[in-house]
Amino acid sequence: MEKRWGKMWALMGLLLLNWVSKVSSLSVTVNDVECMYEYVLYEGDTVSGNFVVVDHDIFWNSDHPGIDFTVTSPGGNTVHNLKGTSGDKFEFKAPRSGMYKFCFHNPYSTPETVSFYIHVGHIPTEHDLAKDEHLDPINVKIAELREALESVTAEQKYLKARDARHRNTNESTRKRVIGYTVGEYILLALASALQVIYIRRLFSKSFAYNRV
Amino acid sequence: MILQSVLIVVLLVGILSPASQSLRFELQGHTKCIAEDINSNSMSVGKYHVVNPNEDHPLPDSHKLTVRVTSSHGNSFHSADNVETGQFAFTATEEGDYMACFWASDHSPQITITVDFDWRTGVHAKDWSNVAKKGQVDVMELELKKLYDTVTYIHEEMFYLREREEEMQELNQATTSKMFWLSFLSLFLCLSVAGLQFWHLKTFFEKKKLI
Repeated sequence: MEKRWGKMWALMGLLLLNWVSKVSSLSVTVNDVECMYEYVLYEGDTVSGNFVVVDHDIFWNSDHPGIDFTVTSPGGNTVHNLKGTSGDKFEFKAPRSGMYKFCFHNPYSTPETVSFYIHVGHIPTEHDLAKDEHLDPINVKIAELREALESVTAEQKYLKARDARHRNTNESTRKRVIGYTVGEYILLALASALQVIYIRRLFSKSFAYNRV
Repeated sequence: MILQSVLIVVLLVGILSPASQSLRFELQGHTKCIAEDINSNSMSVGKYHVVNPNEDHPLPDSHKLTVRVTSSHGNSFHSADNVETGQFAFTATEEGDYMACFWASDHSPQITITVDFDWRTGVHAKDWSNVAKKGQVDVMELELKKLYDTVTYIHEEMFYLREREEEMQELNQATTSKMFWLSFLSLFLCLSVAGLQFWHLKTFFEKKKLI
């Protein structure tokens, strides 16, 4: 009976651990300010993540100058701040537990899509080990392993977002190349036709009578 | 209904993320859509509920949501009107972006509704507590099973990334070869236009008996 209860608590403890390491991956079209909230359960948790600005219409204008990214702690102070970037990774240790606010601010009028990923990771410390007797030191190792795998996953998401951005750039380049080339041909033909018309007019009778 | 919303903010959820996404966002009169790129034949489970700003009082009637989950082809997988909480689950038959759109049933812009949305696809849609209960599985084994699943997912992701990179390389190759042929075409066009001009003016002047 004792053993079964012990197992259940351990299971619940581990499930709780897993629930803590939450991940959140999404893309936002930022018109002005767009904020997401993420709950950090334990103080001292490592909050890591990345974001990439996936430009939508970079057709006829240059690269978007970038967006601002701010992380606000539940106390109200800014934990992390990035200005004018088109994508970056971030990592910080949460000074306290609570609801953290992740905000994207787009200082320009064109809407931009931002693809971002946030992971809150918790590794049980000595203190946690002492508190809960069902937590083995091996759980610490497993948590570390899980965090390492999560960092690989985060990196993959970052790569995927950047790949999407590059793809958009390439597609737009291709369209622009074809557009500009066809436009160039039309302009050339037009200029040459205008030239011919002008020269014909120069030598036409009516014009010749009015020549100085 | 949707036309009334002043600002439509589209939230596209990260591409092929099998991880759980419990995120909180605010609705203020306009529509917010969360989209996610789901692989075909993978499970997708979603739960949403309106967060009560003050714990003591029950949720006011105005804090109700209308939810629509649609695929990129337009098929509706879930819809709910005037609810505070709900959930949906489906197996993605088509590959592509699936959109979950939220808007307040009552369209007054003053109300700010905080929505907690948890959307899991792929690996994390698996209900681990059931797996644990079913087989009297040792906790350690469960954890290792989860790690194994994560590693398998990472492996699949690498394949996907590789495919995308290959597609992009092909695209670039096509663009380069197009530019190559287009430059020849432009040279040919330039010469032909010049030649045409020359021939036309020559016949013109010969007709005018100037040459």
